Amino acid sequence: MARNRETMMKKHTKALLAGTALCGLASGAMATEELNALVWCDHTDPALIEPFEQAHDVKVNLREYEGTGAALALLDQSRPGDWDVLVIDGIDVARTAEAGILAPLPDDALPEDDFFSQIVLKDNNAPGGTTYAVTEKFGYNTISYNADKVDPADMQDLATVWSDKYDGKISIYDYYLPVIGLAAMADGIDTGAITAEDLPALGETLSTMRGHAASVAGVVGAQTALATGEVDIVIGGGEWLTAVLAAEQPELTWTIPNQGAVLWTQSIGVLADSEKPDLALEFVKYIVSPEGQARLATSSCFWGMPANELAGDHLTPEQKDILRWDEQDSYLAKAQLYPAPDEGLDIEMQDLWLETLSQ
Amino acid sequence: MMRLLPWVFLCAMAVFIYLPVGALVLFSFQGGALPVPPFNGPSLQWYAEILGDGDLMQSLLNSLMVGAVSSALAVCLGFTAAYGLARHALPGTTLMRGLLIAPLCVSYLIIGLGLLIVVQRLGLGLSLATAGIGHVVINLPICFSIIYASMGAQQQSAERAARDLGANEAQVVLLITVPMLLPAIAAAFFLSFTLSWDEFIISFLLTRFDVTLPVEIWSMLRSGLSPELNAIGSLVFLVSVTLVLALELLLFRRRA
Amino acid sequence: MTVSRDTLRGWGFAAPALLWTLAFFVVPFAVMAAMSLATLEGRTLIWGLHFDNYRALAEKAYLWRAVLVSVEITLTVTLLSVCLAYPLAWIIAFRVPQRFQRLALLLAILPFWTSYVVRSYAWLLVLAREGVVNKALLTLGLIAEPITLANTRFATVTGFVHFFTMLLTLTIFANLIQLSPNYRRAAMDLGASAFQTFRHVVLPLTLPGIVTGAFLTFVLCIGDYITPQILGGNTELTVPQVIMVQLGRRADFPLAAALAIVLMGIVTLAYLACARWLRLDRI
Repeated sequence: MARNRETMMKKHTKALLAGTALCGLASGAMATEELNALVWCDHTDPALIEPFEQAHDVKVNLREYEGTGAALALLDQSRPGDWDVLVIDGIDVARTAEAGILAPLPDDALPEDDFFSQIVLKDNNAPGGTTYAVTEKFGYNTISYNADKVDPADMQDLATVWSDKYDGKISIYDYYLPVIGLAAMADGIDTGAITAEDLPALGETLSTMRGHAASVAGVVGAQTALATGEVDIVIGGGEWLTAVLAAEQPELTWTIPNQGAVLWTQSIGVLADSEKPDLALEFVKYIVSPEGQARLATSSCFWGMPANELAGDHLTPEQKDILRWDEQDSYLAKAQLYPAPDEGLDIEMQDLWLETLSQ
Repeated sequence: MMRLLPWVFLCAMAVFIYLPVGALVLFSFQGGALPVPPFNGPSLQWYAEILGDGDLMQSLLNSLMVGAVSSALAVCLGFTAAYGLARHALPGTTLMRGLLIAPLCVSYLIIGLGLLIVVQRLGLGLSLATAGIGHVVINLPICFSIIYASMGAQQQSAERAARDLGANEAQVVLLITVPMLLPAIAAAFFLSFTLSWDEFIISFLLTRFDVTLPVEIWSMLRSGLSPELNAIGSLVFLVSVTLVLALELLLFRRRA
Repeated sequence: MTVSRDTLRGWGFAAPALLWTLAFFVVPFAVMAAMSLATLEGRTLIWGLHFDNYRALAEKAYLWRAVLVSVEITLTVTLLSVCLAYPLAWIIAFRVPQRFQRLALLLAILPFWTSYVVRSYAWLLVLAREGVVNKALLTLGLIAEPITLANTRFATVTGFVHFFTMLLTLTIFANLIQLSPNYRRAAMDLGASAFQTFRHVVLPLTLPGIVTGAFLTFVLCIGDYITPQILGGNTELTVPQVIMVQLGRRADFPLAAALAIVLMGIVTLAYLACARWLRLDRI
């Protein structure tokens, strides 16, 4: 009996050891300081992160996420100190700050005077007058197309884009907010003024879009479809989708139609319960510095306009051409921000979106 | 004609089975930045690219580690359970067997989701270890059933002889049962490792900064079109196939 | 009531695995069932006995449609994979010369070891407008201009069938090999035609193997997210895709859990339908 107990003990010890080994896998012994950032994929480019890591002798741990809801849930469930830096949709800063998730940022540390003035967006980034985040990058959800296959003049009018003429030649970008925003602009509704009453009409427009579309695709799906000639138009696309392809297939381009386009902005901030607020602030300062901005604008994941105008000094003329650097004033004049629905309307919008997809 | 039919079918199936692999390998040698027809190459630039990609190589190591540790654990647990149930008359054996096999009937997504909810409720952090735990859950039933099925009477008599000669339980298990069941144990380990190596959804839901290879590939796939994907896919294929063929030649040939 | 030492020892051996399964499989499952009865108000979880999520399943068309799409795709895939894998396994088992058998089997399942995410993506390239399939059909003159194959249900099914045909070939082959040739010989000697032999001798004997493989195909296929996400073009969503949408955009765990429970219910039905022939502990 005693002997058996011994074997049992051995067995348990073994299991325990294996379990410990599993746990041991997770905690690589790190000597340097670490910074945990919850980001979009353009921040995972080593060309952007490594200079900061070397300058401050830190390891930046990055986790990509999609969708503000998911990020907020993740933050709700984490322990204090789990996260230091957050990259978030510009329109969502206010509700995140209200939830007490973000720490105030010192205005004097941010070079916002050098920014394109239209995208400083103090209303969004500084709810109630306290700055909680700063815009770092922006661009448009608009129309990407293949200039060899479609008439560029047609692309200036949204109604023609999703008309019978291009039936089956369209892919829709798989994110509900910008596409609903485009539908609203086509219907002459301001993106910021969408109400529950507008949804049935918007649903009609989405249905028309969906009826003519061959697919609803994420980034790679849409790029593949464009590059292989599967489709000729991507609704909701833009420089972030086609800039990468332009080198090989210059006919793949984008435009902002007469009705305008949806402006996306991403902001970066420090978390209220970060245990390394100073280092986190250093990271934010690096990202909005001219060098950091140039690297972020041309990140391997997707391109977009830098918020800081001085980044232009660190970009080549070709890069600025692809980003349409000199057209920004006219573009920004025609662009409207993402729809920013409250909780209830957000759910209704998502339902409408999924409903339309699965017609 | 009827004589030819099987061979025609065999050729058709070969084309079907190797079509995606062929396309994958071909476009991994693409010269340009887009892995779409027309083919221009061959070029090795994308292989150079991925071998120099620190995140990708780190995730490859992570996958190897999670695969090896979780498979080892699944095999240990599967073996002890199989030994306990096959060699002892226990009340409730059917129930216990049912419980151990049950995870086979549940989609990986559901196992991952359940574990995710529990881990979050407990306020534990996500890491490679949580993904490893998930992998043990899905592989334990497979290890258990493979080893349980191979426990026959021939080992039992050898075990009895050893006991009669005064061996204690530990000696019996380690010196008699394990060596005799080695082929089954190796097969269980190998299969577990393969499944863990390729598993996506559980790893995706249960990891944080350090991810496994399929999750890293998925995030590459979300970030834009590039022949890098083809290169990493081809590389994984090449390495796995070499391993499989080596195992086939070294282990199984000898026994045949 | 005394428990014998032998029994105790047996339990001792089985305990670690049983405890593991309890802790990391049964408990999470129970928590998920409870979660499916919770509800989300804003970002706060309200626990209790709410049936809102299940009501939503009945009311919101995209939810119940996803269930239908999932079941349709899974049944199609299971049926097609069995129909392709059985003859393939048969030819390898009974037509290919003995010494090449293992090699043939290995070749039939080799692509199994390409990374699974990449394999789905490779099908996208094969099925593209400029892809191999369209090129071949054009050359043969079967079509006048490229047809759309990628981003459709057809593409999803193709990707699935490719994977599961390999898996089933392996399991069915293992079954056929165990079949003693004497059975077939005896049937032939007694004057049965080749078809009768197959129908009355081989098929019944290999049925458990087929059903077990088909059931595993069903389980893995209905819960898979990657293949429909990469190949399906998002024009119709499957249950796993809807689950991931609920998690990704709103972290709606209760609704995701309810969908998972429904998925589980479908698998249970499938299990009951083929329980007679299932041999899950003899894979």
